Amino acid sequence: MLAEIGLVSLALAFALAVYATLAAVTSRVRRNPALLYSGRDAALLTFPALLLAVGALIAALMSEQYQMSYVWSVTDPQTPALYRFTALWGSQRGSLLFWSLLLSLFIFGAISLNWRSERRLMPYAIATMMATLAFFLGLSLFLENPFERWWIIPDLPEAEQVVETALIPPGAVAPEPGSLANTATGLNPLLRHFGMIIHPPMLYLGFVGFTIPFAFALAALLSGDLSTGWIRATRRWTLIAWIFLSLGLILGGRWAYDVLGWGGYWGWDPVENAAFLPWLVGTAFIHSVMIQEKRGMLKTWNMVLVIATFSAVMFGTFATRSGVIESVHSFARSEIGFPMLAFWSVMTLIAASALLWRRGRGELQGEHQFANILSRESLFVLNNVIFIALFAAIFWGSFGLPIVSELFLGVEVTIGPATFEFYTVPLFIAMYLLMGIAPLSAWGATSLRRLGSALALPLALTLLCVALLVVSGTSVIVALAGYGVALFAGFVAIYEIFRGARARRRGGGEGWFGATAALFRRNQRRYGGYVVHLGVTVIGIGVIGSTIFQTEAQYTVARGDSVVVRDYSLRFDNYFRAQAVDGRMMNIAEVTLSRHGEPIAQLRPRIDDYPQMPMTIAGAHSTLENDFYVLLIGGSVERATFRIYINPLINLVWWGGILLILGTVIAAYPKVVPAARSRKREVAES
Amino acid sequence: MSFSALNESIAGDMADLSWEKPKNLQKAKRSERYKFLVGGVLILLAVLYLLVSGTLQGARYFITVNDVVSDRAYLGKTVRISGAVDGETIDYDSENAIIRFEIVNIPGEFDDLASALRDALADAEAARLQIVVEDEAMPDLLQHEAQAILTGSLEADGIFHASELLLKCPSRFEETSPEGLSAIPEHSLAGSE
Repeated sequence: MLAEIGLVSLALAFALAVYATLAAVTSRVRRNPALLYSGRDAALLTFPALLLAVGALIAALMSEQYQMSYVWSVTDPQTPALYRFTALWGSQRGSLLFWSLLLSLFIFGAISLNWRSERRLMPYAIATMMATLAFFLGLSLFLENPFERWWIIPDLPEAEQVVETALIPPGAVAPEPGSLANTATGLNPLLRHFGMIIHPPMLYLGFVGFTIPFAFALAALLSGDLSTGWIRATRRWTLIAWIFLSLGLILGGRWAYDVLGWGGYWGWDPVENAAFLPWLVGTAFIHSVMIQEKRGMLKTWNMVLVIATFSAVMFGTFATRSGVIESVHSFARSEIGFPMLAFWSVMTLIAASALLWRRGRGELQGEHQFANILSRESLFVLNNVIFIALFAAIFWGSFGLPIVSELFLGVEVTIGPATFEFYTVPLFIAMYLLMGIAPLSAWGATSLRRLGSALALPLALTLLCVALLVVSGTSVIVALAGYGVALFAGFVAIYEIFRGARARRRGGGEGWFGATAALFRRNQRRYGGYVVHLGVTVIGIGVIGSTIFQTEAQYTVARGDSVVVRDYSLRFDNYFRAQAVDGRMMNIAEVTLSRHGEPIAQLRPRIDDYPQMPMTIAGAHSTLENDFYVLLIGGSVERATFRIYINPLINLVWWGGILLILGTVIAAYPKVVPAARSRKREVAES
Repeated sequence: MSFSALNESIAGDMADLSWEKPKNLQKAKRSERYKFLVGGVLILLAVLYLLVSGTLQGARYFITVNDVVSDRAYLGKTVRISGAVDGETIDYDSENAIIRFEIVNIPGEFDDLASALRDALADAEAARLQIVVEDEAMPDLLQHEAQAILTGSLEADGIFHASELLLKCPSRFEETSPEGLSAIPEHSLAGSE
């Protein structure tokens, strides 16, 4: 029954999406507003339809309907309830359906919130969004259907009796439920972690979110309404998508750090890079769109960035899910590769042609010229150049080089993490430097003297901190330079907030707290942006510390004995086996961790024996200064082998991530003032 | 961007430029444009240099076990290889953190990695290669029928010394593994009769 409900609502959503696409385009071509209303309603209805479909799949997962092959492949009778639920995105078919649900949720929001204000963009915006949704729903319906069931057709020869289909084949009987339950596969143990519970949904939200800016941009290009409307409609959606994508990337790193047990969080794997690429272009867009808003410049460039972001999302999805690119993220090689590649190229081609056409007609002329190389707009362009260079380098290393070499040399050439670092470290340094200088420059033109005086204090603070680091014993030049550059960007952000608050205090007699709060309220995007910069600074410091100063060592210890690593010591106390609730056996070592001779924690690194594989679960003692991280490699009651990692400052990566998200939320948070008034004021301001 | 370019722009002090003075704007534009052009070209060259030199240094061929075993040109060169892990050969020296195992050549073209790995291991004639990875924790995924992707070099001792080890276990997690699945409902058919 659940399979039927799911299948029918999935088919309904697909039909609605196709209809909405056609109705929206026709309404524009035939100038028929009634058709647009109808298309809009169909578009809005895809969301409840998909909610029902996903609800049916979740209900099937929770109620152990193993006849449904998806349920059979991702859960087994031992799977706890929480992981039954998250199994929705545990594998390709479910996650594709979930992806569509999130896309339709975004579309629902975009249409409801922007319907009145951006009516003229709606026909093509709805068409673009719905075409994208229809494509993904088509994949779910025809190629990766999560509602397929196991059937047995007794009349066929024995080898062909078992089929997996969505519709009941003639003469089929249902398999016996008990035996299905016995053979069910269960969720990959690597995915049983809180990072995996929220990482995929966040990443998907980020990915699908970029469909909205793309749809409005394409609508502007196709309809010729290239006023600021599309920017107004998209900038908040871009920020929202960006929040989720950032969160997805950070949680993915956290998952890798906790679960994969190599003490790192970013491995430059092609699939990780595929998710990072849209983030880079999206970040470039978030910055350069401000220039268009303030100065009416870079109109073509912003279109390029919006299109490139969406294009990168689609390419990333293709790369991740088709299985064509060699990666540790093992999605099965699947049939959806070619349709995805086709959809990606068609959408990119349509958007690029529309852009060239409008540009050719001179409709994307800037209102100002770049007058000064130190002006804020010039520095923003430089920022864009750096993000695009990062994009190009990472794309080249992950996809360009392997594909080109395979085509022209007949052998695949790849690069490793070291080369990615070689590419990107200089660019990241340039990014931090610009993050420090650009906020202090002025629109139009900046004199070097003014810039110099603004830079003095942050620069002095940075030098002071670096000097303190040297005094406290840090002697690695690379690390000092890295800390310096990151700190500089952070001090500038703080200094800017301080300057703004000080000016308000002088003007209005507010206290520091009141002045700062008012400052953030008045210009959310600017000051939210500085909080994001602070977050990026904190992340940078964490990355530098944990990369350059990581300690890694392996010891075999007899029971009762201790080993000393840096100022920590680890005593092996006990070793035993125990059984978990779901039946798996756990091999547990008990160790006592001491620092400077004082016991600080009892840790229990362990190895869990899952049916598919053993899984190493680290024992960790975490402080802001260090993560002490111990893996049990193997052992017995007498002796055990441990691998120890000390990762300095790594927690700053996660805390910086939280700051970054917080800052973006501030920037994207809807203004409290009524909509009409705020718009008038914005117009007056620009 | 060169420093002299920056100084020039300050000497000109563009601060008094405004949009109402188109003549000034035109004039300033040309010299500024020149700076933008020079700056842009310099940045482009720097990025290209980064990419080209990085690629030349770090590029390594991604080849098969057959290639590395049969072609002496690869001896001692850092390459990336992929092979099927033979579970019986896995040996971990936990005191010294040294992993040893053997991999078997996987034929170039295949549809389904899980069965390709199984077939490769069943083929007694397939090329084999001894692997050693030093100073590494024993990876959970290192087991029979895993695909190992290794970076390292084949040394004169005939052993491939790997510095990087990635593993994939398709047979354990891939949701559509036809051979694995066909058995299930047959069971259930027997159960229902």
